[in-house]
Amino acid sequence: MTASTDNLASETYLAPNAVFPFCKGCGHSHVLRRLDEALRALRLPARDVVLVTDIGCIGLADSLFPTIHTVHTTHGRSTAFATGIALADSVLSERRLKTIVLIGDGGAMIGLQHLVHAAMLNVDVTVLVGNNFVYGMTGGQGSSLTPEGLVTATTPEGNVVPPMDLCGILKNSHAPFVARHLATDRALSATLQEAIATPNFALVEILELCTEYASRHNAMIGSALKELARRQGWELGTIVARTDRQPYHNRIRPLNGKRDLRPGRTIRAVQTPAHPLRKELGIVVAGSAGERVQSSTAVFSELMLGMGYHVTQKNDNPVTQGSGFSLSEVKIGPSPILYTGIEQPDVLGILSADGWREAVVSGWRAKAGETAEVFVDKSLPCDHFSGRVRHLPLREVFGPEWAALGFLMTLAVRDRFASVSDCVEAVQDAFGEAPAEKVRWGVQQLQSEAAL
Amino acid sequence: MIVEGAVQAGCKFFAGYPITPATGIFKGMVDMLPGRGGLALSAPDEISAIAYAIGASLRGLKAMTATSGPGWALMTESVQFALMTETPLVIALVQRLGPSTGGATQGAQGDVLLAEYCTSGGYTIPVLCPATAMECYSLAILAFTWAEVYRTPVVLLTDKEIAMTSERIDDHALCPMTAQDRPTAKAGSAAYAFEFPQEIPGFRPVGGYEKVTVTGSAHDKQGRLQKNSPETVQVLRHLEEKIRWREQDFSVVESDLQAGAETLVVSYGVTSRAALQAVVRARAEGTAVSFLAIKSLFPVPKKAIVKALAGIRTVIVPEENLTGLYRSVLSSLFHGADVRGVNKVGSMITPGEILEAVKEVQ
Repeated sequence: MTASTDNLASETYLAPNAVFPFCKGCGHSHVLRRLDEALRALRLPARDVVLVTDIGCIGLADSLFPTIHTVHTTHGRSTAFATGIALADSVLSERRLKTIVLIGDGGAMIGLQHLVHAAMLNVDVTVLVGNNFVYGMTGGQGSSLTPEGLVTATTPEGNVVPPMDLCGILKNSHAPFVARHLATDRALSATLQEAIATPNFALVEILELCTEYASRHNAMIGSALKELARRQGWELGTIVARTDRQPYHNRIRPLNGKRDLRPGRTIRAVQTPAHPLRKELGIVVAGSAGERVQSSTAVFSELMLGMGYHVTQKNDNPVTQGSGFSLSEVKIGPSPILYTGIEQPDVLGILSADGWREAVVSGWRAKAGETAEVFVDKSLPCDHFSGRVRHLPLREVFGPEWAALGFLMTLAVRDRFASVSDCVEAVQDAFGEAPAEKVRWGVQQLQSEAAL
Repeated sequence: MIVEGAVQAGCKFFAGYPITPATGIFKGMVDMLPGRGGLALSAPDEISAIAYAIGASLRGLKAMTATSGPGWALMTESVQFALMTETPLVIALVQRLGPSTGGATQGAQGDVLLAEYCTSGGYTIPVLCPATAMECYSLAILAFTWAEVYRTPVVLLTDKEIAMTSERIDDHALCPMTAQDRPTAKAGSAAYAFEFPQEIPGFRPVGGYEKVTVTGSAHDKQGRLQKNSPETVQVLRHLEEKIRWREQDFSVVESDLQAGAETLVVSYGVTSRAALQAVVRARAEGTAVSFLAIKSLFPVPKKAIVKALAGIRTVIVPEENLTGLYRSVLSSLFHGADVRGVNKVGSMITPGEILEAVKEVQ
């Protein structure tokens, strides 16, 4: 049967007569006893404690704690799973849990970003790093926390790579509580109590001996650990105990319920055009990034939606957001649109040199063939285009920023999809007064020149 | 619409990492979840994003993350953890051109098998594949229902051309239903209690009133790590059996079969839209063609496929990858038929290209 966790503080959280699955003299046994002492001193109800264990010898500890919740995870990821549990508990649930991670030196490095981010977020997670300088479970290979000179299975001549200062990294990641102890320190239990009690993120690195591997190849006994820490420049004791950081759940809570949903714009219904579409129409607009090609096309698409048409719009740009070409493909039709691509455009509008290059490279010029209407801004050469090509002074009349919008609105008016005032209203809803006036003036200008 | 569907489904937790073309889902969740009593936050990488979501689900919340191919590659270790620990989770995988970083702003259907076969040992991960904005909404809700009810990770598979294309929707036709919740465990029962292997064990949250033991390692019904015990093997079988046994419940297809047709076009996702247009054109030209769009790619909706195959001599499977990934999965069902692919990478397959393949048969 599942052990009941309804009990309040236990006399012991470790299984009575627990048989540790560790080698003789292994520091992990010390660590677990000190953890048990800390939990007992805090008198935490067992159901309020979650122990998240990593892969490695120390990760075997979950089976030794029969009354608290345990989650045995993948290698290095224990802190990330613990962070998810703590976030869900503290921000969205009862905020009841104390989440404790047991991880080794190997797991601490492979999962370093999880430690760093948990510290930055400042979630209520306490991480105990059992640093015995080697991967014990796989045969004593050197880790990123192996001190220089240490002989391991993978550094038979002695390690020449300086170890990471884990506490230093966490200190500089805004961790509010950081401490380093030897597994045999009398103070360890009190430090763990403090680390668990705080509502903040806490990391306690515990230096210990892997008697199977670290001691076998190196003249190492427990008392040498202090000297070893000194040589690495590893500070011992409590290194950081900040009280100036708010836990994440205190900082994020006030946002709840106050933020609006994604702001939507109501699309105006527009009178059905005098000459309704009977078949799908494909329009391609190619210009430069930063010149509102995609957002202007969206306004045009919404205008068409307002008339009751089915519309699809897809956009393309290089991986960068603010340079190079920007292109939109719109399909408008009287019935639902299946294929959202355009096999042969009916209209191709080219507004800038970037757009012109993309139209050639991506084959739009070729697809336009002899049947499409091609409009090219007057500032560009159009020798490469045969067929129905028109030069329009779009950049001149509307300015580069509104050239795409002006082009599409001019098209809408010409094809009698919408009146000038429909277009102006749509632009006003989306972009405001000034562009709306610019469009009104520009569309009339092009109409009077009979440019289209 | 995936965001709207997820919110409607009752999703309360989202952790994300930006990647084109899935970033819109991340941003949408950041905009929508807090106002609905949920939490959406940035993770420092995709591994953290999915682990945060799994952690939140272990605590009892409906949780989701979203990514594209390169991020999916980083997530698969944790997808297996969710499967092994029977933790409900929805992952929106928005495909882009691969391999490697490929083309961030180009669509593709190249991750179909990566999505399904990311697990060691031959387990089935349900994969839903919407083709329209409306389906993104309804299948997001269904993905949550499956994840919760069957206690499994579920992949909602789209691509750039679905996730980043705007189109008209009929908001009156949107499903008003929310997703179902995970079954809850009876007091005192084992964490992964089942009598028959196909049973779905009741869920008990980490941090709840009864102790929970969770492990990504092979375990017994109590969740205790065990090596090779008969009960552990039972649990390993159960993880697949619970899906396989109710295969029929996972079948979502749209079939448009024509009497007398000897050619069947089978497609999915964005390509199924081009395929249907090609079928419409072929019929307008007097060619009889049947059409089957598959929305639930895995488990494979075998019955619906076999039904569509009646009288069919040629099957055409258009999909936007080099060698016909899903076609290779279906081929064993097509025995006796002439199976052809229409394949392409770098841009969408056009109705014209599919129509050409249909005409070649005639």
